[in-house]
Formats: sequence, structure tokens, C-alpha cells
Amino acid sequence: MRRPPGAVTELLGPALLVILVGVVGTTASASNEGYFLNALVSVAIVVAIYVFVGISGVLSFGQISFVALGAFAAGVMTVPVESKKGVLTSIFPLLRDHSIGNVPSLLLAAALGGVFAFLVGLPLMRLSGLAAGIATFAVLEITHNVLREWTKIGPGATTLALVPETTGALQATLGALVAITVAFLYQRSRRGRLLRASREDPAVARSVGVNIHLERLLAFTVSGALAGFAGGLYVHLLGSITTEQVYLELTFLTLAMLVVGGLTSLWGAVVGALAVSGLDSFLSRAESGVHVVFTFTLPQGTRLVFLAAIMALVLILRPSGLTGGRELRLRWSLRRWR
Amino acid sequence: MPEAAALELDGVDIRYGSVTAVRELTLRVGRSEIVGLIGPNGAGKSTTLHAIMGLLPVHQGEIRLNGQPLRRRSAESIARAGIALVPEGRRIFGDFTVEENLRLGLAARRRAYMGDPLAPAFELFPILQEFRRRQAGVLSGGQQQQLAIGRALVSRPDILLLDEPSLGLAPLAVDGIFKAFTEIRELGTTILLIEQRAQRTVALANRTHVLVGGELRMTLGPGDAENTQKIIAAYLAT
Amino acid sequence: MTILASIDLQTLGDAFGQGAIYALMAVGIGLVFGVLRLVNFAYGQLIMAGAYTLAYTSGWPVAASIVSCFAVVVALSLAMDRLVFRPLRSSSPAVMLVTTFAIAFLLQAVALIIDLRDGQLGQVASSIAPLNQAVSVGGVDVRKVTFVAVGVAVGALITLALVLTRTTIGLHTRAAASDFRTARLLGVRANRVIAFAVVVSGLLAGAVAVLLTVQNPFVQPDFALEDTIIVLVGVVVGGIDRLWTATLGGFAIGFVSVIVNAALPTDKTVFLPSVVYALVIVVLLLRPAGLFAWGRRAAVERV
Repeated sequence: MRRPPGAVTELLGPALLVILVGVVGTTASASNEGYFLNALVSVAIVVAIYVFVGISGVLSFGQISFVALGAFAAGVMTVPVESKKGVLTSIFPLLRDHSIGNVPSLLLAAALGGVFAFLVGLPLMRLSGLAAGIATFAVLEITHNVLREWTKIGPGATTLALVPETTGALQATLGALVAITVAFLYQRSRRGRLLRASREDPAVARSVGVNIHLERLLAFTVSGALAGFAGGLYVHLLGSITTEQVYLELTFLTLAMLVVGGLTSLWGAVVGALAVSGLDSFLSRAESGVHVVFTFTLPQGTRLVFLAAIMALVLILRPSGLTGGRELRLRWSLRRWR
Repeated sequence: MPEAAALELDGVDIRYGSVTAVRELTLRVGRSEIVGLIGPNGAGKSTTLHAIMGLLPVHQGEIRLNGQPLRRRSAESIARAGIALVPEGRRIFGDFTVEENLRLGLAARRRAYMGDPLAPAFELFPILQEFRRRQAGVLSGGQQQQLAIGRALVSRPDILLLDEPSLGLAPLAVDGIFKAFTEIRELGTTILLIEQRAQRTVALANRTHVLVGGELRMTLGPGDAENTQKIIAAYLAT
Repeated sequence: MTILASIDLQTLGDAFGQGAIYALMAVGIGLVFGVLRLVNFAYGQLIMAGAYTLAYTSGWPVAASIVSCFAVVVALSLAMDRLVFRPLRSSSPAVMLVTTFAIAFLLQAVALIIDLRDGQLGQVASSIAPLNQAVSVGGVDVRKVTFVAVGVAVGALITLALVLTRTTIGLHTRAAASDFRTARLLGVRANRVIAFAVVVSGLLAGAVAVLLTVQNPFVQPDFALEDTIIVLVGVVVGGIDRLWTATLGGFAIGFVSVIVNAALPTDKTVFLPSVVYALVIVVLLLRPAGLFAWGRRAAVERV
């Protein structure tokens, strides 16, 4: 089978970048390794969002719902049974009395994310534009509200702790690679190309018989499964989690990563996630004093100011994102970034 | 020539990206003249008007109003400099009343005049005065076109640009607006008229230019109106 | 009719008060959307800035405090337009929206730094708090601020309606909101219309800052954030394409939230957001162009 030109770099570029970050992460000091792992999990989440928002062109504020569901499912199901009885007193006995391993918990997170996205998408994918944005946002609000208040399925408003911290450099890197590969296979598939075409011109796509509702639903489901999976990675990275950590701030931050990188390409999603995470990590370090040629220290609290200001500046100066929303190409790729 | 023409295009090139839509277009519209611009679809007629209004950049050459170059000015400032466009499809505000539509035209007025500021529209099209409180969207197509022309006239422009004003109108309504063009000229306003109705335009205008493929092919006088063969030949020349 | 039975006059008063404040915010957001096609997520931070101004000027005479609140909010609104909205005018809606997220976070982070200078989070705006006292009307306790809120909202909306329909700048603003390109071709000055919308939007944010601060004098960096999100939702649900449908949407979501809250059994009120947002989804599915947008395709399709 002949591959279309550029396919190799389209997958290898992001993949190699992620592997590089993973390898550098393992050489970093223990206190710095967390930043690298966090960046890799961000890649997984942003790529998941990209699969729907980037390819379909429909705005969604709801993908973090699936991250949240995946995180809490994987978290609740991997806390050791003997600890659960003490900390998760009010949950259903079925959940209380069973625990599963690390990999099964990631698969469970992906499956739940996909099923939830499919069920939600079934009615919602008929919407587009701002209506779709607000409806998916409503899903986020409901998911957050239910996770926070319904103590039969999780810890409610308290912290879910004692989750095995299995997301090390290897799992974070592999996880990000899985997300990238799935996204790549989907966007290269016939279905993915149809959806992208419908993004450019919905009327034409409809007139040649593309069922936009169905294509969007498929993308939404794939995106939901990846988001659930990324949520599993995330909870195993943190070891403890609250519902507030997978809610508004994460939604805005990850969307900003995608837009800063370039909304319409996988390469943009990966670059955006890594660039913003890297900047954020650097600023966190700077707040506690960083040594670059000479030592300088940022005042407390200025990290968010700088992070937000730089993101705003990038968007104002380069509305199509750092990558211009294009995939990486082999020849002259660095020069053709703009 | 002692007096600068009201509107001059001097060797104007207009491009969309790398595609040249209009090439080295030179034409002059003198005071109180009607100049016609006809040609097949896609010949660059509307493009030319959009460039005059500053909606499209001029790649080469110059557009001058009363001798003053218009380069790099925004649409709103060109409107206030004295060029009024009656856009294709009329573009009236259907939710607004007739009077509100006309008052919008006053945005480009350069100075105040005595009396009712909407008089230029009402004198030409009395029906607008009668219907001034109605919603513009419920007017007939011909009345909406009158409203669009009236809206342009209340700014008392030096030059009126008309983009296919007869498009989609009933024959009687077409007669009405062509009659109005003559009256507008008599009141001293200059007109650049883009039309598909070639014969009528040639008969009405002082000069009519034929634009084909972005280039001027021929200039016709009122005497050529009956010479159908000549008009057709101009269209077909490629 | 157990739902209706649980709604007394007091709840109804609160519902109108909440709806009125949200309607004002909806107008502020809807006006800017109308002329710029930009959903300003950072609108809440304008209100937050106003609330902080009230808190920091607590020692001043009430009138001076309120005037400085308006001044700060309007100045910030204009600065936002000049520095952020103007360079974004030709960008896609998604980019505009995400940029306003960034601006919202930026302002919130700045507020946090200013706020934490004395080592404690939050400031109290005490001088205008007396408005929050209750008065008894026919045996029902209603907070004074409820009357003020409804009065201010009705007054502001009537004034705005008159300005939009009776003045030249109002006519130009409506024209720009309906078809900006044609308006400019007619000589309507884009910057003037946008400045008008931005200033009015800022004035409304100032008024909302005062009303919300009276209700809740404890001012924190996330002040009004949640309200703004709910209003944005309401505005789209009502129909963002037109100012009056957007306003009704804002009012409706504020009003309905209070009523649903009262109608839910006490142990289930924690699920209020779920109920309200489920309603939002149902309405969007049935009327994607807007609950109040009759017989017209809305701009939401374009975004």
C-alpha cells in the first residue's frame, strides 16, 4: 500500500517529540520529573480534545467530563480493597469490594469515556457553533456536579487518595504515544477525512452524502475514549485527586493549549500542550528561584499572570497558533513553520 | 483637461491572492455624467466597485476622487468622502423602518443642509415618504431598491455607485429606477452604473465601457444602443 | 402542584432580583457580541475589578466609591477593547473566545496578587452593605437590594432601549450589529460604534458590580466568575443573535435557577446545577437558535 506523502512525519514528528520529552524526563531530578510527566499527560488530554474539536471544527467544552469520569473510575477501582473500606465508606458495595490493576483501570477509563461520550453525543451532535459549545459545557457542569455530590460512586467533594502512582516516565510516554497514534489513525482514515472535509464546508459535505451527525458522533466517541484514558493516566500520576482538578481550569487550560499550538493539526495539539506545560513548569520553578546564567526569582503568584499574558499574546499575534494549524512536513519543515 | 474628473481609475490592478481579477483598468467619470460598466458575469465589475470603496486593496495604479487619491482608506472614510455605493442585493436593513434605513444613509453626510435631511430620497421616490414608518423588509423588491438608492442619496454624495440595481426586479420597477437615474444626473450627481441590462445601460449612459475578463474591451456611446451586434461582439471578445 | 406550592413570594422576589442582575450582564455581553461577534468570557473580571474598587474605597463616601467603581470598570473595558479585541477582529470565534479566557485568568491572577498583599484572601466592601437589609412588605421579608436590582435593571434597560431606537449612535450600533459591512459602506464609523458598545457594556458591568457586592460584600478574585458563566449560558440559550433575546435568556436563567432551587427538596438542592444544565441541554436541542428567537436562523450557526 502506498502511503500519502507526509504521513510519516505526521505521525513520527509528534511521536519523536513525545519520546524525547519522556527520555529527558527520566534524566531530570526527582523534583523536576513531575513537570515532564505532567506535560506528557497534558499531551494525551489535548490530543483527545483535538480529535473532536480540531477535526470536526465544532467547539466543545465538555471533553474534560470524560477525563473526569476516566480519572475517578480508574482511581476508585485501583485503591486497594482494604483501604477503600476506610476511606470510601458510602460507595456501592460492588465498587467497594473490588479493585483492578493498573492497565485494566486504564482500559476501563477509556471504555467508560467512550460510552459516556457516545450517549451524550447521540443527541448533542446535532448541534453546532455556540449552541454545541454551551451544550457540551452543560455536560461538564452536570458531570462535575454529580461526581462531587453523589457519594455512592466516589469520594464526593473530598479528596480521592491512595491511588497507586503508576504513571511514571514509561507509562506517561506510552500513554501519550497511544493517544497520538489513535488520533493519527483516525484522522488518516476515510471517516476522519470526511469529517475534516465537512469542517471546511458542511453544505458541500452534506450534498455528497456525508452524514455529518454520524461522523461527528464517531469523532466525539473516539475523543471521549481517549479523554477517559488520559484521565486514567492523570489520576495515576497524581495519586490523589478532587473533582475541582478535572473541571473548569483544566478545561480552559487544555483548550488554550490546543489553540495556542494550532487548533487544526495533531502536530499543533502536541506542540501546544508541550509548549504551555513547559512554560508553566518554568514559571513555577522561577517562582521558587531558578538559575539561568544568573539566579532570578519571580514574586509569588506571578506565574499565572505570565502564563495567561503569554498565551493571550500568542493568540493575538499568531491567531492560527504556533504551528499555524499545519502538520509537520519532512522537507524544510522547520523553516515552513509559519 | 482643465477640471479633474469626479472619479478616475488609473491603470488599476486588483488581485485576489495571486489571481488578477482586474487588469490595468483606466476609466474616468466626469461630473454629472452617467458612466456604464457592463460585461459578463465574473468580468470584474463588482470587484472594481469594491476596490473603489476600499473593500479590496488596489495592487497597482490609483483611484482618485476629485483629484485626491483614495489609497488605503477604509470603506467608511471613502463613504464619508462622497462616494455612495448601492450594493448588489440592496442590503437594506429589513428589521428597521424605512425612515431608519434612510437615516443610516446620513452617516456619510459631509455637512448639514436646510430642511428635511431625507428630502433627496423623498423627492425622488415619494412612496418612501408614504411608507416611512413601515418595516423595510415588507416592501416590494422595487421599493426596496428605491430605498437603497434613496439611502445612498441622502448623504448627498458626489458619486453614486450602483451594483446591478435592476437585478431581480419586475419590468415596471426597472423602468422606474432607470427613470430615476436620469433625474439623479439632472440634479448634478455623478453615476457609475454596473448593469447586466446592456442595451438599456448603453442608451442611458454618456459612455458605457465593456469589461471582459478583467480588461476594458470597448467603449460604447448612446448611439450604439440599437446596435445589438456590436454589444454582443464586445461581450464575446476574449 | 407541589412545585408551585413551595414557591412563596419571597422566592419570587429573589428570582426577580437574580433575573434582573443577570439580564443586565446579558445586555453587556450581548452588546459586545452584536458589534464584534466576540463572546467575552472576561466580562466577569470587569465586575470583579469593580467589586474590588468598592472594597478598597470602603472608607470613602458611598457616592464617591460607586463613581470610582464605574470609572475603573469602564476604563478596563476600553483597555480590553483596544489591547485585545481590536487585534482579534479578524480572528475565528474560537480564537477570540479562548483569548478572552486567557484575559480572564490574567485579570484574576492580577487580582490575587493585589489581594494577597496583606496576607489574607478577600476584601470586604462594607460601606454599601446596608442595602442588603430586609424590609417587610405585606408580611414578606424582601431585601432592599432586590428592589434596587429590579429598579436598576428596568431603568437601565428602558434607557438603553431609548438610546438604541432614538439616537443616531443607537441606530448605527443596531445597524452594525445586524450587518457590519453594509453599515461601514454607509459611512458608519466602526470604532465609534464599538467604543459605544464597549462603554455601555462597561457601565452595565459597573452597575452589576455594585449590586452583587451589596448582596455579597466579601470580594475574592473569582467574584462573579460563576455568575458570568451562567449568564453566558443563558445568553446563548435565549438567542445571542439579538440583544433582546439574549437579555431574556439572561433573565430566564437567573429566574429559573432561584425557582428550581426552591422547588427541589432540601437534601437535593446540591444537584441544582445538574437540573438547570439538563434544562439548558433540552432547550438547546429543541431550539438551537435560541429559546426566544422566533422564525429566524441565528448567528450561532456561523460560529
